[in-house]
Amino acid sequence: MNALLDLVAVALVALATVLIGVYGLRASRTTSDFFVASRTVRPVWNASAISGEYLSAGTFLGLSGLVLLGGARGFWFPIGYAAGYLLVLVFVAAPLRRSGAYTIPDFIEARLQSGAARRVTSVLVLLIGWLYIVPQLHGAGITLVVVAGLPPWIGAVLVAVLVGGAVAAGGMRAITFVQAFQYWLKLTALLVPVVLISFAAAGGPHEIDPATVFPPAAGPGGIDAYETASLLLALLLGTMGLPHVLARFYTSPDGVSARRTTVLVVAMVSVFYAVSSAMGLLARVLAPDLAQPGAADTVALVLPSRVFPGLAGELLTALVVAGAFAAFLATSAGLVVSLAGVISQDVFSGSVRSFRLSAVLCTVVPLAVALLTAPAGLVSSVGVVFVFAASSLSPMLLLGVWWRGLTARGAVAGMVTGAVACGLALLVYAAVDGVGLAAPYLAQPAAWTIPLATAVTVVVSLLDRHGPPTRTDRYLARLHSPERL
Amino acid sequence: MSDGAPRRVRVTADVRRLPASRTQPVRLASPHADAAADAVDDADAVYSRALRRTQLRLALGTVAGFVVVAVALTVAIAGIPELDRHDIGGVPLSWLLHAFAFYPVIFVFALLYARGAARNEQRYRTLRERE
Repeated sequence: MNALLDLVAVALVALATVLIGVYGLRASRTTSDFFVASRTVRPVWNASAISGEYLSAGTFLGLSGLVLLGGARGFWFPIGYAAGYLLVLVFVAAPLRRSGAYTIPDFIEARLQSGAARRVTSVLVLLIGWLYIVPQLHGAGITLVVVAGLPPWIGAVLVAVLVGGAVAAGGMRAITFVQAFQYWLKLTALLVPVVLISFAAAGGPHEIDPATVFPPAAGPGGIDAYETASLLLALLLGTMGLPHVLARFYTSPDGVSARRTTVLVVAMVSVFYAVSSAMGLLARVLAPDLAQPGAADTVALVLPSRVFPGLAGELLTALVVAGAFAAFLATSAGLVVSLAGVISQDVFSGSVRSFRLSAVLCTVVPLAVALLTAPAGLVSSVGVVFVFAASSLSPMLLLGVWWRGLTARGAVAGMVTGAVACGLALLVYAAVDGVGLAAPYLAQPAAWTIPLATAVTVVVSLLDRHGPPTRTDRYLARLHSPERL
Repeated sequence: MSDGAPRRVRVTADVRRLPASRTQPVRLASPHADAAADAVDDADAVYSRALRRTQLRLALGTVAGFVVVAVALTVAIAGIPELDRHDIGGVPLSWLLHAFAFYPVIFVFALLYARGAARNEQRYRTLRERE
């Protein structure tokens, strides 16, 4: 591998991010530009931006690594991520756009007329966002270790500085353009190597014995029913609970275009996941020696130069590195934008200056965590975030949009129950590494924590003597009726 | 975007013109409104509740349909050993189906839902305009 070429690729992505950010800065003038791009983003741009921000380090590097390491089991992750957008579409996309709120806590406060429910939501949104930024920074660290032999902290600091700076400077408008660009960069950076490597593998001397490369035991036949169902439930419902996913719908002009955007997003992320899955299949054929924890996440970076020795391989590697950095930058930037929106409105005055200060704060905390912890598997750290979001925020969002009986106390009780149950299960599992029969239920808690949180929310709401807020019917009518008659 | 004077401000106030998050949906129903206005309000409420129910049915139906198809596909690729024996370019059919076959299913259900939801809203609009 040619370290210089790879570092040039990283520098080019960084430069493009900054330039597009500056272009956006000239276009964003008002507070509304900063928070929601003045709600004028067209569906295709918005869909590219949503997809760009959704495809994180976990999917760009982690998926092919997981398929190499764990076999067909790894395919469930991208399927769950894509289907998560189907649930976003059918349950929340248009109603949340019509709610007219800037952030999830804004929506909860307007829906339930409760400052307490708002504060609990804000804390959860911050936790989820920070948890999600950490693996992005770890991914950046790993990449620079592999391609250039630099110490891991350099990648993390580089991404944090770029993201904090770009968000503070340009706000949401700039970020929309940056992320739209990054989706297409990521797709190209994976598609070109996959196509070229496939051709090389088809014409090359590789004798594939399906029984050893694709053993039925690691194939689709070897699935564990509970584990798979619980994982998919978490991925499907977790998507709508991610702070940066919802913030994006506020930038669509109206509910109908929010829906159209989401259908496009489903198509765009599906294409990317199909390419990424193909990379995983190629990895099993060409690089079985990398199938070890720790090394597997780097297979997408290593594969091109193995198949094409010399300059061609080096150029392809540089392209993959550029795509990987686009992944780290896009996801962290989207998260920082939505988190900064929450902090600046909850803690400060909600002005442009407080948004900038919050953006810096939201980058520094996860950076500190990333520097103090060692990277675990990228896909599994991202999976934890989905389980937590699905257990804490998703049930309350679904009920808030569709059930008129939801009360502030019910929502708070449900969110706290879901968050505590899920957090405890994962912590206990990590601490004792599973205890016999309970192990699968602690490792994949979504199948019981989501129903538990939902049940607690419904029961407490029904028992609440104050009943639902007085304006509930009007608010629900606004969520579900078309904007213009 | 038409950010001019809002023509008819009803259930969905033109939210882009409202300043920020803390505003509530404003529906100016004065306590002294006459009986005719009250009747219109009731009709509004009935229509929008009916729309909400229809959309929820459509959403749940879409998800149920997707789950049925996805489970059937999963059972097929996991349970038919024939699929392990046949391969394309060295990759068993079961692996290929698992890697690529779910995405078209997801996309088709997304498309069907978006169409259905737009149709429901169109029907609601027609009803409201007939008033």
